[in-house]
Amino acid sequence: METSFALIGKGYVIVAADTTSARSIVKMKNDEDKIKTVSPHLLMSYSGEPGSYFLRRIYRTKPPTLSNPQHLPPSDPHAAASWIRRSLAESLRSRSPYSVNLLVGGYDTAAHEPKLYWIDYLGTVSEVPFAAHGYGSYFVLSLLDRYHDPEAPLEEGIATLKRCIQEVSKRLIVSPERYKVKVVDKDGVRDVEI
Amino acid sequence: MNTFVNKFSTHSAVSQLKRAQKLVAADEDEYSDAAWGSQGGFGNMIKGIPNFTVPAVPDPAAFLRLHTDDHADPSCKIKIQHGTTTLAFRFQGGVIVAVDSRATAGSYIASGTVKKVIEINPYLLGTMAGGAADCQFWETYLGMHCRLHELRNRERISVSAASKYLSNLVYSYKGMGLSMGTMICGWDKTGPAVFYVDSDGTRLKGDLFSVGSGSTFAYGVLDQGYRWDLTDEEAQELGRRSIFAAGHRDAFSGNTCNLYHVKEDGWKFIGNYDVSTMYYEGPGDVPGAPGGGYGYGIRTEGRSAADPPASS
Amino acid sequence: MPDMHSLAQAQPQQQSFNPYTENGGTILAIAGADFSVIAGDTRQSEGYNIQTRYAPKVFRLTDKAVLAVNGFAADGNMFVKKVRQRLEWYRHAHAKDMPIRAIARLIQTMLYSRRFFPYYVYNILGGIEEDGTGAVYSFDPVGSYEREACRAAGAAQSLVQPFLDNQIYFKNQTPAPGTSFPRHLPLPTVLSLVIDSFTSATERHIEVGDGLEIYVVLSKNSPSIQGLRDVRGVTELTATEDGERVFVVRRELKKD
Repeated sequence: METSFALIGKGYVIVAADTTSARSIVKMKNDEDKIKTVSPHLLMSYSGEPGSYFLRRIYRTKPPTLSNPQHLPPSDPHAAASWIRRSLAESLRSRSPYSVNLLVGGYDTAAHEPKLYWIDYLGTVSEVPFAAHGYGSYFVLSLLDRYHDPEAPLEEGIATLKRCIQEVSKRLIVSPERYKVKVVDKDGVRDVEI
Repeated sequence: MNTFVNKFSTHSAVSQLKRAQKLVAADEDEYSDAAWGSQGGFGNMIKGIPNFTVPAVPDPAAFLRLHTDDHADPSCKIKIQHGTTTLAFRFQGGVIVAVDSRATAGSYIASGTVKKVIEINPYLLGTMAGGAADCQFWETYLGMHCRLHELRNRERISVSAASKYLSNLVYSYKGMGLSMGTMICGWDKTGPAVFYVDSDGTRLKGDLFSVGSGSTFAYGVLDQGYRWDLTDEEAQELGRRSIFAAGHRDAFSGNTCNLYHVKEDGWKFIGNYDVSTMYYEGPGDVPGAPGGGYGYGIRTEGRSAADPPASS
Repeated sequence: MPDMHSLAQAQPQQQSFNPYTENGGTILAIAGADFSVIAGDTRQSEGYNIQTRYAPKVFRLTDKAVLAVNGFAADGNMFVKKVRQRLEWYRHAHAKDMPIRAIARLIQTMLYSRRFFPYYVYNILGGIEEDGTGAVYSFDPVGSYEREACRAAGAAQSLVQPFLDNQIYFKNQTPAPGTSFPRHLPLPTVLSLVIDSFTSATERHIEVGDGLEIYVVLSKNSPSIQGLRDVRGVTELTATEDGERVFVVRRELKKD
């Protein structure tokens, strides 16, 4: 089952998503990167059926002119989350809505603060210190209530993330075997091997 | 119900029930009514075995579902209480049993003071998830049989045997609409033991179980803190915290946590802890508690992820 | 659903068997230190029709136990009848009244014997325990039960129970500095809480009203008898010399 988590720490956001791409009962692919770097300080994980189509919509950037600046995702995390939410909300009310659940993590370079937004396919946004989508969230949210620390250094944040991954693989019947993990901090986005 | 067909058919619900009752009765000795002194106080168990009234319809289980399954039909009249978090685990120092105390009927909190640990006898505990009446009734009934076992065999029943008795019993009613998910916990010749028994007929021996709508949340905390060589205090704290986690995250669980510890000399009630109080202040002055509230907001108060440059 | 067809062919029968209805009304019980108060309104309705303005829902079982029954009136009346029959058998066998905790267990087994064809009734049993304390037991339709200090059930349970939680258990209240809440409230206070509960429920719930019957059970030589002195419309119903005493207070509720 598709699962994604994210958490903030001292000066960073970690976003993790499983790498399976399934159709019916078949795993079609198991190294799919479902975390896109939207801008130099912004990550977005997507889960749900046509995630990549939604991304294409976001990426269908017209030249950023003053006349239509709304076609380009902004780089301030809060503004980006709002922009993405709006895109989802519009899609929801269209003939063929996207049903994607998102985690948007970014580093606000102006305020020197990591930000994380939990967004579901209905266009519900909430800013949170940690988040999860999919069945994994049933196991991981209580775990993060217990272990998450907003001031944890990166190694500790990774350790907490590993707890989440281990818990999901222990308890979830069809648990993903691999995860893609990315971190965004003041220096931008990078992959993390776990 | 007493039609000719029903009397002799071998697969109707009524005959299935009769078979179940015969199966239960097979284990009974003949009771004379005089042994009880009176028939006045024994409800449906005048002869020591339960006897059930069944509606005169072809499919009584469907009838029951129609009128009591509030999950499928929220407007149904008879609401049986549901929703729970219960857990039990075995460790070096015995067995920890922890449960919440909320009962819900639909979205109404019918009670916040339910006793979900059923004290079967001084060495055996049963937990309650699913139908409150099913668990209460059958685990009390199990208690009667554990006592009979003691009288007949001059030794206490093993946890394994007790759980198997319950499992066989509920299995004989399979498909009739019983709903229970229970852990039978205790200490016998083999040491601490935990068995999971449910109304589907599943019976599992294990070290660590959690049952109910909030079980996933309890597992999240329980698994991460669990080790065989936990001290008594650490284990009690883990049980409490796991129920707190579930009470906090699952809307159908909460109110208070009841904590029990089973050791070689039987079970002991450790305490009752309010979930809201645990959020803000912790469980109070109890061994194993770190001091301070368990709540995320309390634990991380004043801590910020912002990382402004040192110079500014 | 597919196998419904084959069954219907084998045995002609009515499409859906529904022996239940909901007759409204509300009951409540509160336990004190040495008394117990059990009350219910007397309106009986079905849908928007009021069938009668006086159908008692609270019944004296013994001098130490009173049972309030809410839900489907026909099931309720039948159930009370059967409980009373069992209590009479007990009396003949043991030459005494059944203790309330035993009545509670009896009610559990009686309700559970109908596990597969439930009585649609919510029971609240109030009275005096053998040790002289006030007791309230509440049941679900299939027999799970619990001893409590107070309980409301029926149509207006969601209106009345939060009020009781606040006034009896002092939920969400903080005592003034240097004081503490009483563990048990005196009888006059409890009686006014009961009356207020029902007048308020009558104001806001269409199925509650017409009349109010409040049963009071007092333990042996209970000083709480003082609390009944000045109460209007009290009738004593005590039948034995055991020492426990049962009273009923009847009041009017709004009839619209």
